Amino acid sequence: MSAAAHEPQARMHFAAFSGVPVLLGITVLLFALHIAVGAKPLPLGTVLEAIFARDATVFDHMIIWDLRLPRALIALAVGASLAVSGALMQGVTRNPLADPGILGLMAGASFAVVVTAFFFGTAPLVFLPWIAAAGALVAALVVYFIALWAPGGATPLTLTLSGAAITAFLSAIISIAHLLNEDSFENLRVWLSGSLAGRDIEMLYITGPWIAVGLLVAFSLARQVTALAMGDDVAKGLGVKTGWLKAQLLITVVVLTACAVALAGPMGFVGLVIPHVVRLFVGSDYRWIVPYSAILGAAYLLGVDIIARIAIAPREISTGIITAMVGAPVFIHLVRMRAR
Amino acid sequence: MSTSAGTASDHVVIRSRGERVALRLPVRALVAVGVLAVLLLAVIGVSLTVGSYGIELETVITTLTGTTVSDAIDNVVWQFRFPRTLAAALVGAMMALSGGALQNVTRNGLADPSLVGISQGAALAVVFAIVAAPGLDYSWRPIIAFSGALAVATLVQALSYQRRRGNNAIRFILLGIGVSAFISSITSALLTYGDIDRAISALSWLAGSINAASWTDVQILFVWCVVLSPLVLGLTRIMSVLRMGEDTAVGLGAPVKWVRYALICVGVGFAAAATAIVGPLGFVGLLAPHAARRIARSGVGLHTVLTALCGALLVALADLVGRAAFAPIQIPAGLITAIIGVPVFVYLLQRAAAKSHL
Repeated sequence: MSAAAHEPQARMHFAAFSGVPVLLGITVLLFALHIAVGAKPLPLGTVLEAIFARDATVFDHMIIWDLRLPRALIALAVGASLAVSGALMQGVTRNPLADPGILGLMAGASFAVVVTAFFFGTAPLVFLPWIAAAGALVAALVVYFIALWAPGGATPLTLTLSGAAITAFLSAIISIAHLLNEDSFENLRVWLSGSLAGRDIEMLYITGPWIAVGLLVAFSLARQVTALAMGDDVAKGLGVKTGWLKAQLLITVVVLTACAVALAGPMGFVGLVIPHVVRLFVGSDYRWIVPYSAILGAAYLLGVDIIARIAIAPREISTGIITAMVGAPVFIHLVRMRAR
Repeated sequence: MSTSAGTASDHVVIRSRGERVALRLPVRALVAVGVLAVLLLAVIGVSLTVGSYGIELETVITTLTGTTVSDAIDNVVWQFRFPRTLAAALVGAMMALSGGALQNVTRNGLADPSLVGISQGAALAVVFAIVAAPGLDYSWRPIIAFSGALAVATLVQALSYQRRRGNNAIRFILLGIGVSAFISSITSALLTYGDIDRAISALSWLAGSINAASWTDVQILFVWCVVLSPLVLGLTRIMSVLRMGEDTAVGLGAPVKWVRYALICVGVGFAAAATAIVGPLGFVGLLAPHAARRIARSGVGLHTVLTALCGALLVALADLVGRAAFAPIQIPAGLITAIIGVPVFVYLLQRAAAKSHL
């Protein structure tokens, strides 16, 4: 291969690399802003001081460490996990409409958590992500097979329709469980609307390591996903064990989604929007799409959560409502442009 | 008027006014109409007896004929159960007819007012009215709902239309899903923004519950039914031509464009009025027309009647089950219909009903 052929690729790499520090900078800025903004606005100086020189006796530092920092970290983790799962799903299914929410994984995860709470009372926090993961896995498989058996196979259209159907079904059952046991579900109700308000930092300690593992696995598999996105035959020709790869990716997606749901409840359309935005800039190479999705997803959710907290202060909107408001038009646009 | 046995043994032919009016009706479908009507009456009867205050069926019938057995029974039957049951049946029929009309227009077996965002549009308009103008008279609700629903229907149609490829059935549904997600998020945001008490009253309504139906509701529903039903029945002749495909219909001289607009308006009107009173009821509009088609093959006219009966029966039954299954907790009928409706939706998806069924 000649050097000339390498050149555009090299330029692409440079462009892609140069985006990382910019995006990281924006994320850090949003992170600081997220902490500074709120019922009691704090100057950025105080935020930095609290983080780097913590003084447990200062009231503002207490606000930051006990309330705002956990929330910002959770937004970061949830945004990154959802965006990466969305990106992987879009690559594996070659479906521009794939998203953990649209394809029913979130409904499955929420359903599993609610059913467990209904029959066994509140389960210990440690198990919550795994219960959610089991639900997400089953829902993903059910949605996939319903679409597969439909005439024409698992096209973006049939997948989306069966995802919507499963979501409607599970939400109806969740609502019934909620009605039957109103008191103990008061906590779950806020959680089910996809909110970052008052989430438990404890859950971040539990899910954090798994999110980290999931993201690392996603980064390491990204190269093969690029091949897979070109078609199963192409991927096989390039020496990818497609079946094994798909299984690994499914588990990664399920774990990331389940951790995100356990942290913040079902938060729609993040996994749909972010990878598409990323693709506009870095093209179709998943080695770039996956890490960029992680950073941009984190930045996006931080930004959305800032809006959710200040838009109608002193009350706040559920973060999931805003992600749906932004995401649904993107979905509509994608249906009009891409889906046949 | 003379009735004569038809040429084929499975049809009844009714001729009237010197053969100027002649109806050829399949016996099976006629029987089905009768059976469904009886079943509907039975469900209504049962739901009048069941509840936290059990009443014998005979007592119910005596009360309904106007004899007062006791004030308490009179009150329970006339003020609570009877209007509620009637509202359930009426709403069911209306949602079913709405679904039927939409399926005909879009030539799409998966069309349902709650799936393509029409119910959500109605809901958003009503919630907006509740939050923004709480003093507004109750009877305005259906009209507000109608404008919201019509706006959404127009939006989805416009979005799904592409000049080169024309209307595509599945894209229509997908766009509807996107639009309804968007509208629901706005509704939720409004609920967060609005006053808590009003938001809570709107919330129970959003689950599709017939709990609080009163005679006023029944009156409103009835008026809308009386206005819209003749329109549907009047359009059935042209609808049967439309079934053969748009080109054929145009060739046969049907004003296809106007019929489309009229059917959309009627479908939206039915869904909006029903939604305004009891909130969005999912999947009834999807289920009823298919059930009617399964029960008996018939022309469009009888099919419409069957559809309305199926819908009425379905929602009356769903309300009864929701009321009795976990008493004293009431499950909104909308949740029950969703649980029944989704498996049917999946089944229809498998059968490629989505492609083109009509």
